This record gives sequence, structure tokens and C-alpha cells, in this order.
Amino acid sequence: MRGILICGVIILCFLLSYFIPVKEAVSDDVKSCLRCHGMKSFQKKLENGETLSLYIDGAKFEKSVHGSLDCSSCHPDITLKNHPRPKKIADKRVYTKEFSKNCLTCHPQDALMKPKMHGQIVKKGEVLCAECHGSHYIDSMKDWKKKASFNEYCISCHKFNISKTLPSKEKISLKVNEDEIKKSVHGKFQCLVCHSDFSKVNHPVYDYKNKAEYRTKMTAICTKCHTDKELQKNPAHYALTKTASCIECHGYHGVKSAKVVKSLPENQYCLKCHSSSIVMKMKNGETLSVQVKENDILSSVHKKLKCTDCHKEFSRSEHPIRTFDSIKDYRTKAKDICNNCHQDAVKKYDISIHAEALKKGNQQSPDCVKCHDYHKVTYITKDKMASSELCIKCHSDSGKAFKESVHQQAIIQGKQNAPNCASCHNSHDVLPTNIAKLGDSCIKCHKDAKSTHTKWLWNPPLRLTTFVDAHFNSASCASCHTKAEKAIYLTLFDRANKKPLTNSEVAKIFGIDIKGVKAKIDYNNDETVQQDELWKFMSTVKAKSKANLSGRIDVLNPNDAHKIESKEKSIKDCSYCHSSGAQFKSKLEINQEGTKPIKLELDRKALNSAYAIPNIKDFYVLGLTKIKILDILFFVALLGGIAVPVGHITLRILTAPIRRKRKGGK
Amino acid sequence: MKKIYLHPLPVRIWHWINAIGFIILIITGAQIRFVDSMGLMSFETAVQIHSWLGFILLANYFIWLLYYLLSGKLFKIYVPPFWRPVEFIKNSIRQAKYYGYGIMVGDKNPHHPTPENKFNPMQQISYLMIMALLIPLQIITGLILWDPELFGSLAKLIGGIQIATLIHTALWIFFSAFIIVHFYLATLGHTPMAHIKAMFTGYEEEHE
Repeated sequence: MRGILICGVIILCFLLSYFIPVKEAVSDDVKSCLRCHGMKSFQKKLENGETLSLYIDGAKFEKSVHGSLDCSSCHPDITLKNHPRPKKIADKRVYTKEFSKNCLTCHPQDALMKPKMHGQIVKKGEVLCAECHGSHYIDSMKDWKKKASFNEYCISCHKFNISKTLPSKEKISLKVNEDEIKKSVHGKFQCLVCHSDFSKVNHPVYDYKNKAEYRTKMTAICTKCHTDKELQKNPAHYALTKTASCIECHGYHGVKSAKVVKSLPENQYCLKCHSSSIVMKMKNGETLSVQVKENDILSSVHKKLKCTDCHKEFSRSEHPIRTFDSIKDYRTKAKDICNNCHQDAVKKYDISIHAEALKKGNQQSPDCVKCHDYHKVTYITKDKMASSELCIKCHSDSGKAFKESVHQQAIIQGKQNAPNCASCHNSHDVLPTNIAKLGDSCIKCHKDAKSTHTKWLWNPPLRLTTFVDAHFNSASCASCHTKAEKAIYLTLFDRANKKPLTNSEVAKIFGIDIKGVKAKIDYNNDETVQQDELWKFMSTVKAKSKANLSGRIDVLNPNDAHKIESKEKSIKDCSYCHSSGAQFKSKLEINQEGTKPIKLELDRKALNSAYAIPNIKDFYVLGLTKIKILDILFFVALLGGIAVPVGHITLRILTAPIRRKRKGGK
Repeated sequence: MKKIYLHPLPVRIWHWINAIGFIILIITGAQIRFVDSMGLMSFETAVQIHSWLGFILLANYFIWLLYYLLSGKLFKIYVPPFWRPVEFIKNSIRQAKYYGYGIMVGDKNPHHPTPENKFNPMQQISYLMIMALLIPLQIITGLILWDPELFGSLAKLIGGIQIATLIHTALWIFFSAFIIVHFYLATLGHTPMAHIKAMFTGYEEEHE
């Protein structure tokens, strides 16, 4: 059917061609083609739905530089006799690309490469010949150049989606929107007013390494008219020119007037520049985005604040130039901004493990803005799950463990009193777990914990909560309420000031650097502290400090402490701990200021050695930490106790004849 | 055959409660300590019995103390004549010689118990030590271990829970050996059952 239709159209074209007047100047070959292609309605539907007109204006074609050529000069595969069957064409660009190749038969690439810029375009093939020069009605370059205005001349190429890839792999769009220029304060300018090094014969090529260099160098164009002297008149603006280039605030071609901006409300005034993707460079080369998204502010808890409420040193007339050593330095100072209103929170944060870690150079450690964001300031309390997720971003292992807990279940069930991370670890004053007294956090919610434990955890004849306390003080809640592997932790403790003895204090005792402390304990360097190593270490420490080892039972892997199970599954078997056969690992802890303690593997034998008596004075778990030598002594004493009567009886039997003799003698 | 009323009823009651209690405390103590190798009872049962008995014997100790204080016999019976040290030492050596040698060759026991002078010098010194020092120590350290929190200050005074445990365990070892020897010595009367019987009836038989 389709074939018949096409044949019909061709026959009709032939018939009609006799009635269409064709100018004599064009060749017979062209005339033959125009019999069909001279029809204005002659068009083709492309595969992507576009319509491609197949109409050629013979008169216009005749006047073009290619007017004297036959159609077959550019369409070598098409003759009257051999007109290809309807071609499948994907879209106009593909079609243009295919036919632009034919230009190269007469215009050899060598010649096209000579003008530098033109050569680059030809080589890259970003713009096709026909896209700039047209297809059938090509003007003479000389005439067109003379005729075209500068804008027309430049835009003829720059209206296309052309781009330049810099050595930094960044791409710069070279497309210019003419309308944008017309609407701008530079609307009446010709391209050459700013791009004065360009002309119709000269098209220099810039080799900027990256976008930043490009922006800085291009800014030089602006200062030709807007001199440094002029800019200095407004100190705020002048300061800005030192931190951001002109184009970052005013744009490239759609240049915005600064005067309009001044009359805007304050936040809008600031956002005029800060809504662009501008960055701040630190002394150490780090860059920080100082772009502010308006929506972030509008959706934040600070939506009612003005920019200057936080950024007090800035105003419409003041924009100080600030220099920071690094992002870390910047973030430390950013905290001061929060401190203006949130002194309590900042004070608490300052003693936290997070603040210490940040001070020590851990960039990942959170400060105010890491959790609350810079401008999208969020209030973290209501949504317990979201609040937890925030911590889990960094503490993924703990988060994973927490998901197995009854606490997470409670959050999912939407229980009002369900705990999240902050319920136990606090939100601002997050402390190292060994100092934080996490057990107290459990009691905060489980207020009746002592009385419920007294129901079964008591020693006859009296039920006393003090007996529960004795257990609460020496074992973490998690040690009974999780199935995780357990360990005995010995912590070096200063009995004089009732605080853990820190790493640096130990280093001072030994007169060494803190890095050397570990070697003073594990001196055979086998990653385990043996009993002789521990006691040698302890005797040195004790000679100079009232040190002792305090102990507790806890889960071996701290993450497991999050896997709290329902109370029905908790451990209630006393001999789970109170037995020398309990498979508990043991660890030696030395605290460090503001951070997690050093943990060393400890040989369990050290706890059952007689040396434990003077060194672990305040920690004893019945059965678990018993001194083994006393067991031997018990058996020796039993044997001795039996040996006395047995020996005595034996002697009495042996001496019986003497007694008999004496009795007889009487 | 002379019968001497040596053990008044309160003393006998105290003694037997103490004796049974001591044995059970030693055994339950062993069960608590050797929970993973001894299977007499569960850990919980052992602890329960041990704690109950601990308090019973604590009360029993005060019955003994009260009786002896009120009867005024404590000083006479338990306190050796430290004002006559040479004589006491001589008597002690004589008594030791009797047990180590004299008894073998048929010598007479140099000590003749009377209600006012019940113990021989060796008994006197060892019972004084036990009743005035070791049992109170065992009670105090037992209380510390019974509730280390409630008796935390006592633990501190004694030098920490570790020292309290050491004392309690060492005394357990001592008492375990002592009770065997004590039982044997009780059979060294004029007949093997003489002293034991006396501890039930109160009357000690003595040959003229």
C-alpha cells in the first residue's frame, strides 16, 4: 500500500512539474529535482516525530554561492534515475550531520583547519557545517561578514549548544542567550564591547586550566569599565570583589544591576549573590561552598531570622573579608555564631567527645552545623527515628545493632517513651561511654528497675535494693539484657581523686610520651597483657600514684550494647557470671581525655592470680575472679585436717603395746 | 566415776546449732566456689542456704556472747591467765606433750576440766582466738560479701572487697581443717564417745 502511495506521489510530481514554471538559470538537473522539491508542501515525517521540509526555493538557491551547482554535487547518491527509496531518518540533527559530510568533498579539511577557531570547531564536530552556514541558501562568507552586525555574527555560532572542555575536565557552555543580553543592563552592547579581543577576523582561543581561572580572568573584562576606584566607593561591594568574582553575582551576559538589589529586603539582598554557586577558599586550599538556598532557610527553624541575626558583622554596607586557615578553623568559629543564642547547648557540646574529636582533627566529627546544617537549620527532637538516623549516618554499626533492640521496636510502634540515641548518649554533651554512666540513662526511663530486680536479685534473709545496686554498679545493663559476648573490663583508676587515671597521667609517671604507654604495659608486644606484665606495670604506677584497677562486666563489643532484648530474654542465672567457667574475655582500659579509652587484651589468668588482691581491691565477682591458689590451699588444708587424726591414730595404734605394758606394770 | 556438769544447756544448744551450721556453711561455701565442678545443689540454692545460715549463726554467736557475758564466765573460761604467762606456757607445753607423746604411752591428761576451768591451755588459746577474732572476722567479711553495697564502708575499712574475700576464704579453709581436727580431738576422752556424749548431756564423766 505504502509503495503504491509513494509511486503515486512521484507520478503526480512528474505531471505537476509541467505546470510549474522553473527559471532557466538553474541546470536541467536542478530543474528535474525541483519538479518535486519545488513544492512547498513537500515534507517528510522523521522517526522522532519532527517534520523535515523537502522544499527548495529555486530562486533563492540560484542566488546562493552554490547556485550554479547541480543537486548531485552535494547529494551524490541521488539522481533522477536512482532516487533512493524513502530514507529512514532518525532526526534533523542526524540528517544534517550526514549531509554536512558532503561539504568536505569540495572544502577539504586542511583548508577548514587553517583559521584556528574554525579548525577547532571542525575537528571537534560540535557544530555541523550546515548549522552555521545553512544548507541550500549559502551566502558568500565575505558578503555575510560585511553585512552582519557583530551580534549577528557572533550569535550565528554561539546560539548553538556549544561548549568547551577545560583541562580540569570542567565544561563551560559557550551558548549565549541573546534575549538575556537584551534584557540586561548591557542590553544595547555589541559582543565586541566586552570581548574586545574578538573581531570578525580574529577569534582567539583561551586556554584556562579550570573554571575558577576562567571566572577570575574574565572578570578583568568588567574592571575595564567598572574601575577599582569606582568599586572602592562602596566598601561592602569592594570587599565582595575580593572574595567573589563579578560574574558570580552579576551573571555573565544577563548582567544584573546592583542598584536594584539594594532596595530588596535584607535576606533577598544577600541571596542575590549567595544563591549562586560561589565558594570560599581557605588558606590551606580547601574550598567551602557559601551558596545559600533560599528554600533551605524557608524550611528551617530559623526561617524568621534575618541573615544578619547570625552573621552579625555583615550588613548592606559592611561585607568584611574573612580568611580562615581551613574548613576545620571555619567550623570552629561557626560554633560562635550558634553560641550567640544557644549558649547552653554550646557549653554542653564543648565537653563532648564530638568536640574533642574535632579539636584533634577528625573532620568527620560533628559540630553544630554537621547535625543542624548551616542554613537548613533543623530542630532535632520530634521525629525519634529521624533523629536516630542522623547519628547512624556516622555510627552505622551502632545503628545496625540498635535495629535489633526492643527500643527500636518501640520507636517503630510509635511509643511516646521509646528511646533513641540521644535518650542515652545525650544530644550535645555526648561523652565517652566509659565516663557517661550509661546505666543511669537506663534508670532514667526504667525508674522501677531496682524494685523489679529486687524481686529476684536478692540475698536471704532480706530483700535490699543495695544488693541490686552492688550488681548495677559492677555490671552494665547490657551485660544481662543482651545475648552478646561479655568481658571483664579493668580500668586504671586513681583512688586519690576518684577518677580514672588517664593516658597522659600514666605517661607522666613513666616520664614518656603518651604514644609509649602501651609499650610499658604490653612490653613483649604480643597484643595481650599477661599477668606478669600487668603487675610490673601496676607496681611502677602505684609507686607514684594511688592507682588501682576498678572492674566492671560489660559486653565485649560496645556496639552490642545497643541490642537490648525484651526482659523475658534477659539473663537471670546467677552462675552465668558467678562461675570460674564463665567464658568472659578480659580487657584493660586506660582512659584518655575526652575520647574513647585505650583497650588492651588482658589474659584472664591475671584476674585469678594472687597479685590481683593488692591491685584490684574493689572488684570481685564471686566465682569469676576467684584466686585460684586458695582452691589449692583448701584441698591441702582438708588433707592436712585428715592427716592429723590419721597420723595420730596410727601412732596410737603403734604405741598401744607400750600403754598395755605400763598398765600391766601398775 | 565422778560426773561434772560441764556444759550448761544454753552452751549445748549454741554448740550444736553452731556445729551443724558450720558444716553446712563449709559445704555450701564449697558449692558456691566450685559451682562448675560440684553438683550438690544449684548455685542459687547454695547461696540461699549459705545466707540464711550465715544470719542464723550470726544470731547464735550473740546468744553465746550474751550467755557468757551475763554469766560472767567468759573471762574465766576463755581468757588464758596472761598475768601468769610462764605458768600458762608451761601448761601449754605440757598439754601439747600429752597429745603428742603422753597419750601414746598412757600418761594421764594433765588437764582436769571443771565448770570454771573447762578448757586446757591449748583449747583456751585456740577457742579464744576463734570466738573473739576468727568468727567475728568471718561474720564481718561474710556480711561484706552478702551485700557489698550496704557494707561498702566496712569493706573500705578492711581494705577492699578483695581483702574481705581473701579473709573469708582463708577462714573457710582454716575452719574446714579445724572441724576435722576438732571432731577427732573430741574422741580423745576416756572413751571415744565420752566428750561427744557430754556435749549432749552436759555431764562429763571423770575417772577418780
